[in-house]
Amino acid sequence: GSSQEESQFEEFEQIDFLGDRHVRFFQRTLQVLPERYASLETTRLTIIFFALSGLDVLDALDVIDRNTMIEWIYSLQVLPTEDQANLSRCGFRGSSHIGIPYSTKGPGVLHPYDSGHVAMTYTGLCSLLILGDDLSRVNKQACLAGLRALQLEDGSFYAVPEGSENDIRFIYCAASICYILDDWSGMDIQKAIEYIRGSLSYDSGFGQGAGRESHGGWTYCAIASLCLMGRLEEALSQRELDRIRRWCIMRQQSGFHGRPNKPVDTCYSFWVGATLELLDVFQYTNFDKNRRFILSTQDRLVGGFAKWPDSHPDPLHAYLGLKVHPALNITQRAFQHVQQLQQTWRGSTGSCSRQH
Amino acid sequence: MHGRVKVKSTAQQEEEKRKEREKKLKVYLAARDACFSKRKEGIWDEGALQVTQQLLSSNPDFGTLWNYRRETLMHLETVRDEDEVQKIYEAELSFLESCLKVNPKSYGSWHHRGWVSNRLPRPDWARELGLCDRCLSLDDRNFHCWDYRRVVVKMSGVPVDQELAFTDRLIGSNFSNYSSWHYRSTLLPLLHPESPEEPAPPPRRASSSPPPSPQSRSHRVCEEQLLKEYELVQNAFFTDPNDQSAWFYYRWLLGRAEREEIISCMFVSREEERVSVAFSRAVNSAGLLLVLDGQPQRVEWRSVHPRFKHSPVWICDLAPGTISDVTNEHNLTVHWMEKHTHRDCALYTGRTESWCRDSATDQELFRSDLSVEKTSVLQSELQSCNQLRELEPLNKWCLLTIILLMRALDPLGYEKETLAHFQTLEVSRAKTRPLDAEQEVGSLTSSFSFFLFSPSRQEVDSMRSAYYGDLCSKFMIENTILKMEYAEVRVFSISDKSLTTLCHLDQLLLVTHINLSSNQLHRLPPQFAMLQCLEVLEANNNSIENLEGVYHLPKLEEVLLKNNKISTLADLEPLASCPKLKRLDLRGNPVTQVANVEAELTALLPSVVDLLL
Repeated sequence: GSSQEESQFEEFEQIDFLGDRHVRFFQRTLQVLPERYASLETTRLTIIFFALSGLDVLDALDVIDRNTMIEWIYSLQVLPTEDQANLSRCGFRGSSHIGIPYSTKGPGVLHPYDSGHVAMTYTGLCSLLILGDDLSRVNKQACLAGLRALQLEDGSFYAVPEGSENDIRFIYCAASICYILDDWSGMDIQKAIEYIRGSLSYDSGFGQGAGRESHGGWTYCAIASLCLMGRLEEALSQRELDRIRRWCIMRQQSGFHGRPNKPVDTCYSFWVGATLELLDVFQYTNFDKNRRFILSTQDRLVGGFAKWPDSHPDPLHAYLGLKVHPALNITQRAFQHVQQLQQTWRGSTGSCSRQH
Repeated sequence: MHGRVKVKSTAQQEEEKRKEREKKLKVYLAARDACFSKRKEGIWDEGALQVTQQLLSSNPDFGTLWNYRRETLMHLETVRDEDEVQKIYEAELSFLESCLKVNPKSYGSWHHRGWVSNRLPRPDWARELGLCDRCLSLDDRNFHCWDYRRVVVKMSGVPVDQELAFTDRLIGSNFSNYSSWHYRSTLLPLLHPESPEEPAPPPRRASSSPPPSPQSRSHRVCEEQLLKEYELVQNAFFTDPNDQSAWFYYRWLLGRAEREEIISCMFVSREEERVSVAFSRAVNSAGLLLVLDGQPQRVEWRSVHPRFKHSPVWICDLAPGTISDVTNEHNLTVHWMEKHTHRDCALYTGRTESWCRDSATDQELFRSDLSVEKTSVLQSELQSCNQLRELEPLNKWCLLTIILLMRALDPLGYEKETLAHFQTLEVSRAKTRPLDAEQEVGSLTSSFSFFLFSPSRQEVDSMRSAYYGDLCSKFMIENTILKMEYAEVRVFSISDKSLTTLCHLDQLLLVTHINLSSNQLHRLPPQFAMLQCLEVLEANNNSIENLEGVYHLPKLEEVLLKNNKISTLADLEPLASCPKLKRLDLRGNPVTQVANVEAELTALLPSVVDLLL
């Protein structure tokens, strides 16, 4: 009846996008984090990335001091020592939690337990790009050496050279690093593709590795990696791609969930939505229902988005509720910046990038 | 980071919390610094374990500390006897249990437990499985726990049939346990493989072709067991038809391996002195070889559109004069090196063209992913699903599965029913797509009138209506290809079928006439350029605004695009690449209103003598 229509209209009017609140949310993220985030200290750079890229999407990077931020990120670079003995440990670290003295230039300081972390190198590079930096102070060869040291025989990657769990997430980080640095000598692509294919499950979603349950996040890592490598249609047949599309399309309930019979969660609007975009079928999603769900998780007071309505907002979900470039997970603007940088690099060396 | 529900608190409570936090922080920093200095000095003793324990209890994701702990434990292994080591590791397992109670999803904790289990002198696998059971009883979707369980099973040699029985129990008590179904899918092929003797794994290929996926032959299940599984899964979806788990598992059971990769068609034309080749999947041109009358030819292979580095169709031009003389007979062979396969085509005297192909029927191209085991099995499955449909007429999983089974059994025979089921699925698409006043009355499909007179229709899965529209289009195209082949003609006609997209264009290499009129197409995509033999293109009464794919079609003479959405001269540029284009009908398109359009088109398309605006 018409009263039903009216209340629906009211509901729609109320659910508006509170850009300013989100800007403030991200600003606070860049200052102090609440106690419950203590366990994220070792991965602080990823939180910074969510906040910076979030501000970028909202076109609000001018609320922060870019130069200070850039310096801080460079202070997290694990640089080669004088004798270059630590090359296989280079990259970016997550924060200062190990206690390395602050420094933004080399040579590196030898510390037996200091090393880059593949996800920090990825988010560190992205953060620099977002801030408009030209990556000239990144020791690219050292980063790539550090990356090579992380890949296993089966094609997957550790996060750190000391060892950790190994799975498809870190393949995505590695592929992003190689893509940004325009140099695929950082990884054995063929092995990585084999690991990715081996992670394809019976229902045509991807698990974290062989035999593991399909999941929206790992499916994103698989597809985005193959796209960055330029090997999507080589690695997967048309039938496989169609089945993967089907699995992903069935993840939309209102927003998206990450696995069947799980509740919808804001972050999967990105993981699954971006996958569908990379597979050229984003038009199969229902844009309105997705948007309405995401906005329902918006925190009207504090800003940011949460996993679910009536939950605490956090930087990850706040960021993934916004729209970005599907393969690299940064804004179009930042993506164009890296493309321009790559043109410059290729121009100056007089040859094209060292691709497979 | 994930999900905590908000709780309100008073100002006083806030202050108390703050003081507590500061205290904790001081303790934390002191412990952390103690840890690092110990490690730096190379101290690996029980004290080290104690200090790291404190920190890890509050932050199990501090990876470096787990590594320090592992170093300590490994060192202790060398200086203590076996019983003591056993005790130390058992204490480690207890510690890990308390960590997991606090955060059952910590990568660090689970990884460490796996490491410990591997090094324990006398592991207690029953205990480990018990831990998994308890953890899963709290959260049966915790994939960390499932992954750990798989590791334990592997390390301890738990027999596969025991694990299968485990999934029986879980599924029996809760059909919608997707993780259990998933686990079952990995166990079943181990226990009941399709081929009793596993063939030796293929030698590592140097080529770039993809290795077999888990869905390929060696992972499939033998038929006897399949039938039992069908029964299990039917129980599940009859009990709860709305739960996805059983349906996805069912789909996998019904599914089959990828088909053989071949050169599906080869076409030779004297006039253009050109060879066109279609493959069963997209390839790149490296590794293609053309041999003419026993002589390898130096040719440049190109895909049909500059966009494609990978394409299922490749073309090459022979040197002028090579095959143009119609009194000469020639034998051509294309070699696909990577797959060690080739295709021959004989070009006879007096013939201007020739081809050689496997038909879609030969290739069983459209068996729609399903197993060809036995028709009787598929029919019995279809019967069960139809029974369910009587109880649950609007269940989308049921409808989709029925469509799948019908296509496997008899795609042409079941065409009407398939269309009806799609209408049920995508009902809101028909409702919401506005009727264009300019479209002829005849373009109203039967589905529209169906809805005008059926007000009680409910929406089954309107959210995915765009997907279903394209899926239905795909099946209608497949059926049309089959009909075309049975009739043994090169005319492809599919009008008035609500087509929203084009696909399988690689199957239309030989088509001379195509009729796509009165559908809902928006574009003729670059892949359309695979229709290398096309002479007549009819696509009136669509919504076409993009003609990218009408590109370098050497035999194209007639293009009929009445009542579409072509709006600029730029949209028509691809047509300039078709040298034989004589007749072009653009009536009812916005572009006809562009200033000076006739003159511009005459300049753009000089070969066109019959232009209708």
